[in-house]
Amino acid sequence: MHIIFGGAFNGKRQYVKEHMGLESIAWLEGELPNPGDNAVIAGLEHWIRAQLEQDHSEQEILGAISTLANSTGERIWILTDISRGIVPIDPLEREWRDVTGRSYQYLFGQAQRITRIWYGIPQTLKGDGRDEHLHENRR
Amino acid sequence: MVPGQLIFVSGGVRSGKSTYAESLVRQANAKRNVYIASGVARDQEMAERIGRHQQDRAQDGWWTIEQPRQLSEALPLIHENDAILWDCVTTWLANELYDGVEEGNLCADTPGCMEQKWQELKNTIDALREQALTIVIVSNELLDEPLVAPAYQQWLGTIHQWLASRADQAFEMDNGLAIRRK
Repeated sequence: MHIIFGGAFNGKRQYVKEHMGLESIAWLEGELPNPGDNAVIAGLEHWIRAQLEQDHSEQEILGAISTLANSTGERIWILTDISRGIVPIDPLEREWRDVTGRSYQYLFGQAQRITRIWYGIPQTLKGDGRDEHLHENRR
Repeated sequence: MVPGQLIFVSGGVRSGKSTYAESLVRQANAKRNVYIASGVARDQEMAERIGRHQQDRAQDGWWTIEQPRQLSEALPLIHENDAILWDCVTTWLANELYDGVEEGNLCADTPGCMEQKWQELKNTIDALREQALTIVIVSNELLDEPLVAPAYQQWLGTIHQWLASRADQAFEMDNGLAIRRK
């Protein structure tokens, strides 16, 4: 399980296409594959948003994400940071950021590798013995 | 002539990016330090703040060029061996996208308009680099939140990615700490 993380329009998808050799893997935008399927999952925040708009609870959303994350198969998650803006007044907007943030935290804990992309420049945040943190990355 | 150093510095509001960028320009030990300012005063407080900054820099030997749009107009004013600080991409982009608002044909809504300005900007930055010893370009981190102005943010991402790939050095500023990414 590998996470590619960063702000919007930072070149995350391009990085995955150019550097990860994924000729035969399904690419999903804003939807989840069936548990056990190999896939690149992009636009998870849009999927979460749609679930909330359809009145699914945080528990259901996190449940679906963890079931997928814990199933067999190779998956690359392209996660867009939406955490650094102003906290909005609208409850759905707030809930969206909350649930997205908690989902990302869960996935960061599970991932073997996390690569942050800053305007096309990769940085290993976790995994592969190249952690830039001096202390061990804890689960 | 060897092209000048291109250095990209990006960070959040009050992250210390301007101060750091100024120090990079000083380190270049150029004959002249040039400050290209793209900010436009929209109220009295801003006008005073800009004036104060201008005075501070003038006392410190800086040469200021006010260039809210069309960076290419600054090109003839640049001497060989200048060190340049351009502050900043985000205000320039807003000014260019809103160009034409008074005439009722906003650049942001005109097909091909921003594309042309973007091509001009790339040419200008390459040309500035041919002239100058060092050019430091400052910008803001505005892409780590849900999209509020998608067209603006998409352009900003495009520009930042180009700058990061073109630059000799790229820094992300975090509370006064310059994290070198390239």
